[in-house]
Amino acid sequence: MRSTFMGLETSKRGLYTQQSALYTTGHNIGNANTPGYSRQRVNMQATSGFPGVGLNAGTVPGFLGTGVEAGSIQRIRDTFVDHQYRSEANKLGYWESRTKAIAQMEDVLGEPSEYGLQQSLSDFWQSLQTLASSPENGGARAVVVERGVAVADSFNYISKSIAEIKTNLGDEINVSAVNINSILGQITELNRQIADVEPNGYLPNDLYDARDGLLDQLSTYLPIEVSYEKTGGRAPAIAEGTVTIKIMTNDKPITVLQKNTFSNISINGKNETTGEMPKEITGFTCNGAPAGGAELSVADMKKSGELKSLVESYGYKETADGPVKGMYPDMLAKLDKMATAFATEFNKIHQGDPANGVYATDLDGKPGEEFFKVIDGTKPISASNIKVNENIISNPNKVAASTSKPVDSTDPTTNPEVGNGQNAQNLGNALFNKLAALGGSSVQGYFAQAIGQLGVAGQQAVKMAENSGTLLLSVSNRRDSISSVSLDEEMTDMIRFQQAYNASARMITVMDEALDKIINGMGTVGR
Amino acid sequence: MRVTQSMLSQNMLRNLSSSYNKMGKLQEQLNTGKKVNRPSDDPVVVMKSLGYGMQVNRVEQYQKNLGEVNNWLDSSDDAMDGVGQVLHRARELATNAANSGTVTANDREMIKIELEQLQEQLQDFANTKVGDKHIFSGKMTDKPLFDKNAGGYQSGASFKENVSIEVFDGVDLRVSTNASDLFNNINQLFTDIKNDTDDKYDFSAAIEEIDGLLDDVLMKRADIGARSNRAELMENRLMMQEGAAKKQRSENEDIDYEKTITDLITSESIHRATLSVGARIIQPSLTDFLR
Repeated sequence: MRSTFMGLETSKRGLYTQQSALYTTGHNIGNANTPGYSRQRVNMQATSGFPGVGLNAGTVPGFLGTGVEAGSIQRIRDTFVDHQYRSEANKLGYWESRTKAIAQMEDVLGEPSEYGLQQSLSDFWQSLQTLASSPENGGARAVVVERGVAVADSFNYISKSIAEIKTNLGDEINVSAVNINSILGQITELNRQIADVEPNGYLPNDLYDARDGLLDQLSTYLPIEVSYEKTGGRAPAIAEGTVTIKIMTNDKPITVLQKNTFSNISINGKNETTGEMPKEITGFTCNGAPAGGAELSVADMKKSGELKSLVESYGYKETADGPVKGMYPDMLAKLDKMATAFATEFNKIHQGDPANGVYATDLDGKPGEEFFKVIDGTKPISASNIKVNENIISNPNKVAASTSKPVDSTDPTTNPEVGNGQNAQNLGNALFNKLAALGGSSVQGYFAQAIGQLGVAGQQAVKMAENSGTLLLSVSNRRDSISSVSLDEEMTDMIRFQQAYNASARMITVMDEALDKIINGMGTVGR
Repeated sequence: MRVTQSMLSQNMLRNLSSSYNKMGKLQEQLNTGKKVNRPSDDPVVVMKSLGYGMQVNRVEQYQKNLGEVNNWLDSSDDAMDGVGQVLHRARELATNAANSGTVTANDREMIKIELEQLQEQLQDFANTKVGDKHIFSGKMTDKPLFDKNAGGYQSGASFKENVSIEVFDGVDLRVSTNASDLFNNINQLFTDIKNDTDDKYDFSAAIEEIDGLLDDVLMKRADIGARSNRAELMENRLMMQEGAAKKQRSENEDIDYEKTITDLITSESIHRATLSVGARIIQPSLTDFLR
């Protein structure tokens, strides 16, 4: 036998449930612009019919509906799209960081422009040609010296700037490691909270969203693989459980986060007290459970994610005693090689070889000194360690422009040939002579080649960054199409739920009227 | 596909930023007049442009060198012309002096005085300067060929060394004219006449010698002329080279203004369309129609 007030109860449930739906709609609208928010839906379900099943159940024809309840509040999300999103974000992280590193190098090299190394070499050559045709002209000599200083300065400046950016890249690797550890820590904390809540039968949607946001962030740094473990208890079937994170490598994946524990990633060779970075990265160590000190060596790192790109820019070694690789160390080495080869060739011509009858003579008839010298005497000549001989700067007459046989104490009668500019011409050729130290290229050719290689790498990086950016946007659009809030849709829902709410309220009025009939209109016969 | 507001605004943002990017690139191209501004824009163009830039610089420098060559050669020719005129006058004087029937001892004395003047003028020619260089002093351009202190012409080996200037990659042009022997010989002749005290100098022999010296001067001038011709030829070649190098450079790296401006206008109208489409699409939502 059903109760008198069952109709009221049914309608009240309708009121409550539609109200929950309206509140959820309000929550969705409120979060329409929250990054990482997934829209939520109230899963409405009809409550069990009357009478309940059982031997002594009441006898009524058929089941009678007892109304509705909010079964669960679920966020709408597609984990497959999340997986795609993270894989694209990972690629974008790699190429964007690479694009940035190359762009910075391009800025420093400043080619093509009127201020680059190429221009200062070209100016130097021109001044030497002018000297060759007017070797007696003091002005022409001064210009040669100044242009020589400009060449040395250009080498110094470029080399130092590149080394500085390399240091900044090292800091960036450091910051990335700190960020990765912080993200892992936050995800672990969320895991813990989720594991606390879920067994009580709740769905902590906002915690899931927060965790997914962090996973998105983490995926820009490293290629990760994510899996889930159920928390048990009274957890709903659609509860996500705790997340386990593995870093993908060329070898086997490294588990860095599981349930309540995560491994801290540290940079191998970094001085923990001074914070000084190693000259080149050999790898990372994942300290503590669950990785248990597993080694993420550079050789094992997949060519993906911002961290690997930073390592490739900064410089790395695949084995402890292997060769140094990486974009910035490569460019520095090339500049050094070029500066050394150029200075050596130039000095050789400037000093001549008197023993074999090859003379290089300055305006006073004395043999030429070194034109380019080291700044720091303990190190060999290089792009960062090159300057013009200060004797020559203070006395430009010392530029050995001539090939005449020099005056010396044993032969005071020979005059220096003031009008002889042959050696200045030879010095100019130093730029175009094919040098064995540069693998048979000229200084000029070697530099153009280095710029070309950088350009090709840059062009590829820009294109790849653009492509992965486009892909990421389309995946992100797909994800938004599933998860993001549509205001129109919410408004439609609002009207739906409002009307249902109103109708439930009207049902109560109807019940009220019916009960009124029973209570006030019945049993008054003959009154 | 379900489309939401956030997707619309995200897409519009992306479209706007990409059209801003495009316009920024075009603006940079129009400002600099260059297609590329960093190696990654187009590595091939940049590599080529480094080469062409160097090429243009070199041709320009060789043209400057050629100016120097012309300076030397023109001044040498002028000086040699002067030497020739001196010799012609000397020949006239010698012819007069040789005519012993009509010329008195006094006249001869006058001739000697004039010859002495000519000898001094010759010294000036021998010390001709271009800028701060003595052009007849071989590689000793800082020293005059006629040494006033010693009262004689320099004879060191370096004074006979040739001076060359590079006018093209590996092409040297000799700019000095070795005239120290010539000057010495003329000087010797004049000194001999001057030193003749007994008035028995054989002027007819002197005339012959002067004729020989005039031939020498002509030969030097012919040599200078031939080199001037070569310089002129080189100048034409360099001019062509310059044109070619600049054209190659321009074709390689300069923008086509008509095309770039058209591109800019196109990008601008796309940008405007993006803006107005965005404004129309994003504003209205169901909220505006529900009351």
